[in-house]
Amino acid sequence: MDKALYISMSGAKQSMLAQQAHSNNLANVNTTGFKNDFAQARSMPVYGEHHPTRAYAMTERPGTNFQQGPLNETGRELDVAIKGDGWIAVQAPDGTEAYTRAGDLQTDSNGILRTGSGLAVLGNGGPIAVPPSAKMEVGADGTISVIPLGQPADAIAEIDRIKLVNPDSDTIEKGLDGLIRVKNGNPAAPIDANVRLEPGFLEGSNVNAVESLTEILSLARQYELHVKVMSTADQNSEAAARLLQIS
Amino acid sequence: MHPALYVSKTGLSAQDTALTTTSNNLANVNTTGFKRERAVFQDLLYQIKRQPGGLTSQDSELPSGLQIGTGVRVVGTAKEFTQGSLQVTEQPLDIAVNGRGFLQVLLPDGTISYTRDGQFQLNSNGDIVTANGHPLEPAITVPDNTSSITIGTDGTVSTLVTGDTAPTVIGNITTVDFINPQGLEAIGNNLFRETGSSGDPQEGTPGLDGLGTLEQGMVESSNVEVVEELVNMITTQRAYEMNSKVVSTADQMLQYISQNI
Repeated sequence: MDKALYISMSGAKQSMLAQQAHSNNLANVNTTGFKNDFAQARSMPVYGEHHPTRAYAMTERPGTNFQQGPLNETGRELDVAIKGDGWIAVQAPDGTEAYTRAGDLQTDSNGILRTGSGLAVLGNGGPIAVPPSAKMEVGADGTISVIPLGQPADAIAEIDRIKLVNPDSDTIEKGLDGLIRVKNGNPAAPIDANVRLEPGFLEGSNVNAVESLTEILSLARQYELHVKVMSTADQNSEAAARLLQIS
Repeated sequence: MHPALYVSKTGLSAQDTALTTTSNNLANVNTTGFKRERAVFQDLLYQIKRQPGGLTSQDSELPSGLQIGTGVRVVGTAKEFTQGSLQVTEQPLDIAVNGRGFLQVLLPDGTISYTRDGQFQLNSNGDIVTANGHPLEPAITVPDNTSSITIGTDGTVSTLVTGDTAPTVIGNITTVDFINPQGLEAIGNNLFRETGSSGDPQEGTPGLDGLGTLEQGMVESSNVEVVEELVNMITTQRAYEMNSKVVSTADQMLQYISQNI
């Protein structure tokens, strides 16, 4: 049997993996602040004491597309979107610092400022605690100011400033929980004073639905070609077996 | 089977939840004191299929590896406590809270629930009750032969009994505020119940300490934005269609391989 069977088998398997990557992008087409993942195939030639005719394909994620998603106006005072480049620093469940673009903020019963998925937003020194307040405003530079309960409207007080960072996009990657982290060996990103927030807006997902769907359909056709080669290899070996039959 | 099948299944069920939220908002577009909800989406965990930095040989390593996401989920629905517009009804027992704060309603099981729906009525005893017959808390009873009821912006309730010249104060309506109103549990009937996440109720006089004033003869209408909901419905529907297209594509691939091998 020709070993081409295994090459087309691995090709079919890898195109299924690539489809999973694209269907994950498509599933997150409405997720606030989602960044879509690239998927690419790389040829992996087999080296050895033979004629170099075998090259397997391998799917990999070379990176994440950090382009900005659309800004959707919500009008809610605690919804913030980042205008241009930058990230909001949050505390991941394991206590480490991670970055996100999903700015649907809320306060919990202890007044800790959290994202919609419950992660504490980091300020100048750890999580931000907001005192009971009549009104709360997030400024364009991340400064949080409140009118404390029972105070007149001119008693506005600055509480903290959301930690906004802008690390180089080749020093960060998407972690296993979907949050962005600095790659191994790099220090946590420093505060960048130039990152600008747009209060009252949320950033949508930057997934291009048409692109993802087209990619999935084209991979489906490639898959069929791989299967075709598999059945051809099967027919070839059948023919060879027939020739060798002693009738 | 095909991993994309399960990923797009999560996409479909998340869009389902989002549509349910949207339709509930639209259904309550005329409900007094209703607060709209928003579905919060989050991507699921990522699987490492191939470790970035793994060694492919003694002196070469994988530059990027392969980490694939497993889909999306709806983390929760967030109630949005923005103020609805105030409508003048001229009914003396209609109260709107203009600003922060909730009116308190005593439930039959003795617990207190909270509402922004201030359409009150009188029962046969003269108690001020909601449309469901639950009494307002603190309880206020209107005496017989009352010709007019006045509710002040700070919650003072005074009545003028026929034959008297001066009105008498019969009680004070207090409102409560929560540090995190989004954490309240909606129990239907326009009522909310406190939870661990909402924090403890802080009772106060309307108009003081950041609490909103009470406006007699007005009700707060629903804060649902119809246009926004309809646009959300369009995006939800299209996202659903695309994810179902992936399901059928994955299905056809499986069909193809089982027929051709």
